[in-house]
Amino acid sequence: MVIEKREKDNVVIFDIDGEIRRSDITDVTLHQLVKDELEHGKKHILLNFERVDFIDSFGVGEILASYISTNNLGGKLKLARISKKLFLIFQVTMLTKVLDIFDEEDLALRSFLKD
Amino acid sequence: MAEGRLHRILSAVVKIKPGEARLTLLLFAYFFLITAPFNIIKSLRDASYLEDLGPNFLPYAYASALVVGLAVSLHARLQAKLSRRALLKSTLVFFVLLDLAFWGLFSVSEWRWWTLLYWMWANVFVVVLTTQFWILVNDIFNPREAKRLIGFFGSGGILGGVAGGVLTGFAARGMNSHDLLLFSAVFLLGALGVVTALFAGRGPSLGAPGAPGAAPRPEGPPPSTGRSKVGFWDCARSVRKSRYLTLIAAVVMVTGIVSTFIDWQSKSIIFAANQNHPANLTSFFGFFNSGLLAFAFLFQLVLTSRFIERFGIRLGLMIYPAVLLAMSLGIAVRPELLWLAIGIKGSDKALSYSLNQSARELLYIPVVPELKYRAKIFIDMFLNRFSKAIGGLVLIVLILLTSGGFGTVAKPGVVAAASAISAGLIVAWMILNTLLDRAYVREVRLQLAKKWERPDTLVSERMDVDTAKLIVDALESRTQSPTLFALHLYDLARRRKLTPEIKSLLAPPPADASPFRSSPLLESGEMPWMSDADDPALSAGMDAEIREILALDSYQQLMGEYAGRLLDSPARSAGASETARMELAKAIGLMDRGSPLAGRLGDLLDDPSPAVFQFAAESAGRLRDRGFVAQLVRRLAEPLSRGDARAALEKYGESIVGTLADFLADREGGAGVRGPVASLLAGIGTSEAAEALLEELARGPSGADEDIVDALDRIRSRNPDVVFPADAVRTRLASVLAAGGRVSGAADLLPAFRLLGLIYDHEDIFRAYQNLVKGTKDSIGYAIELLDHTLDPETKGRLFPRLDDFAGGGAAPARA
Repeated sequence: MVIEKREKDNVVIFDIDGEIRRSDITDVTLHQLVKDELEHGKKHILLNFERVDFIDSFGVGEILASYISTNNLGGKLKLARISKKLFLIFQVTMLTKVLDIFDEEDLALRSFLKD
Repeated sequence: MAEGRLHRILSAVVKIKPGEARLTLLLFAYFFLITAPFNIIKSLRDASYLEDLGPNFLPYAYASALVVGLAVSLHARLQAKLSRRALLKSTLVFFVLLDLAFWGLFSVSEWRWWTLLYWMWANVFVVVLTTQFWILVNDIFNPREAKRLIGFFGSGGILGGVAGGVLTGFAARGMNSHDLLLFSAVFLLGALGVVTALFAGRGPSLGAPGAPGAAPRPEGPPPSTGRSKVGFWDCARSVRKSRYLTLIAAVVMVTGIVSTFIDWQSKSIIFAANQNHPANLTSFFGFFNSGLLAFAFLFQLVLTSRFIERFGIRLGLMIYPAVLLAMSLGIAVRPELLWLAIGIKGSDKALSYSLNQSARELLYIPVVPELKYRAKIFIDMFLNRFSKAIGGLVLIVLILLTSGGFGTVAKPGVVAAASAISAGLIVAWMILNTLLDRAYVREVRLQLAKKWERPDTLVSERMDVDTAKLIVDALESRTQSPTLFALHLYDLARRRKLTPEIKSLLAPPPADASPFRSSPLLESGEMPWMSDADDPALSAGMDAEIREILALDSYQQLMGEYAGRLLDSPARSAGASETARMELAKAIGLMDRGSPLAGRLGDLLDDPSPAVFQFAAESAGRLRDRGFVAQLVRRLAEPLSRGDARAALEKYGESIVGTLADFLADREGGAGVRGPVASLLAGIGTSEAAEALLEELARGPSGADEDIVDALDRIRSRNPDVVFPADAVRTRLASVLAAGGRVSGAADLLPAFRLLGLIYDHEDIFRAYQNLVKGTKDSIGYAIELLDHTLDPETKGRLFPRLDDFAGGGAAPARA
């Protein structure tokens, strides 16, 4: 898994590439990266899953932990371009009721402006 | 005479129903008029034969029944070809003509072997005419009617025999014995008149399945298809193919042989006594035969029906051989005693004409009509005679072996040997009777079609209710909530129910403008949602992933907060919130029982919305946390939530029997839930559940009695091996049958039948009940017949009077 960071409209965007799975843990996890940004005062974070092929429960745990951390500090974490499979998983687990999920990155960025 | 007046008169001696009086009287007269001439013919036959040839030649006369059998088989062909009316009338005319022919022959010739020919003719006469009579009775009446009237008809026959015998006794003293044949011709002409009256205005065949004589059959041969092709060998094959009919045939065979032995023994002893004190033998046999029949008549009139109704066919079949066995053993020891000879012949005839004849006719009740006709032709008309021929042949061998020739008088030692052989045969006969009685109950049971199954059994056996509900819920959620829809689809996939057909059913219509968003689970793309395209199961990896997510601490924390916002919100009753609560209730069911979020199910189980409760109850049923049982039981009292609460509680299984028993026993606090709780205990169906139900029933009447009895019945119907304490059930049964007013139909007695089903064969009891409720006239008769053979006398004594409330009398249901 490779995670690249960029910023747009005061929103930190993490472009995730590859697979997010327990067996593929790197030194720096997604949650750690998010926490680092939060520590630097960045409260608006967007996770872009366009190039994610696979995500397992560990990966979902990383997303949820990131979401909770962001929320606890009064920030916003949103998801964009998730796969159909992940969307189904989020639906079945009712996470669609909690997480902000967008089909396109632009829509997600605009939603940050509205907040 | 007007039917009403006739009915009143006959009611004094026989249990008849309105509309039966004329027919009953005519049949009584018919039987009278064919047995009276037979006793004249028979007395003359016996005396002439003994005087001309002697008792040691009697076995030849018995063996001549083989020839008679051929004549009878010819009659069977005629029976298949002619209508009942034509057959009966032509037969009577035929016998009148032959009667007159023998009168002429005896007047002009003194050849002593004419008596053997005459003997054969007399045998054909009795077997043909009596069989025709009983077939006619079987045509007209159903089993219960026949059972009620058979004693009266039998009495007509015996009375006729008595009259013929007395007439012979007196007339033979003052006139030529052979002239008595003129009297018999007159009786037969009277019978012809009765037959004409029986069929008057009814067509050629009386045998209608409805009310007696109510629905005449069309012109032509007797009823049932294919009967015109029935011949003697068809009849024989039909009997051989049926184990039951074979048993009847075996009994008839042994009875005939024994009866032949007895006839020979008694006549030998009587003839020997007459050698010492000569008298008019024709007159003697006239009085002797009428005396026998007078005894039989009294027995038939007073005891037969009552005996059979009270003790059933079993004892009815056993009394006859038992008495003969005792007498045979007596003759084996003292073969010279005249009173013993008269006694055994008297017992043979009296019991044969009354109890045995009636019981044997009842044995044909459960046989289907077509088979019954064939069987009666073979058994009654042929085998009955054939058995006597066999008896005769055995006697010939016995006489030859023991006497070395045919003297005029039989030796006492030979008579004693015949009695010993006879005793052995009677023992075999009694064993066969025992087998026959068992077979009879089996045959009656076969006649009772099961009309329906318990609805709950049908549902549980044939329908996957949970899946059906889930599919309906999924369909409904398509326009309600994409999340709920996804949850349902996931649920279906986990149960391996997301078949291509169900996917197609759940897919949105092309022009659907609803907020529905198609789910990946309905798509056949590259992603492995499912194991493969045709496999209705979710892929194992996908399922494991979802379960792992649900167990994540972060997930539980996040969703716990969500649940808090949702359930603690003051706007909880808002429409949108209700859907969200439904989603949450559904999702919790996917989690582990110990997960923090599962604790919020308690709030959802108290939700005022039935829709939310539905999913909460489903989830509770999956998690089976006993902490939710009381909440679920309380919701049983609400009609809208009852079904869901019940379904959830059923999933807890036997672990909650104790809790349910507590609710059942709480007569004050458990109002509204005791009935459903009883039903739940039935669903669990263990012996502990049954015990709890019985214990509550034993506490005495309460508002939930009907539910409790129904629950016990359900347990019994599913598991016939569960044993219920008979005493407790009988006590309850007694109070159920004693309570209440007049019963208007069998359905009013359902609780009683359910209780009966707990201690008797459940299948038998409910076959009988269902046929009482929905059966045809005949099957109602079979139903009571089966109950008659199944229940103990005390229970019958309580139940049958209640059946009479709607069945008329004698537990014979009124015709619909």
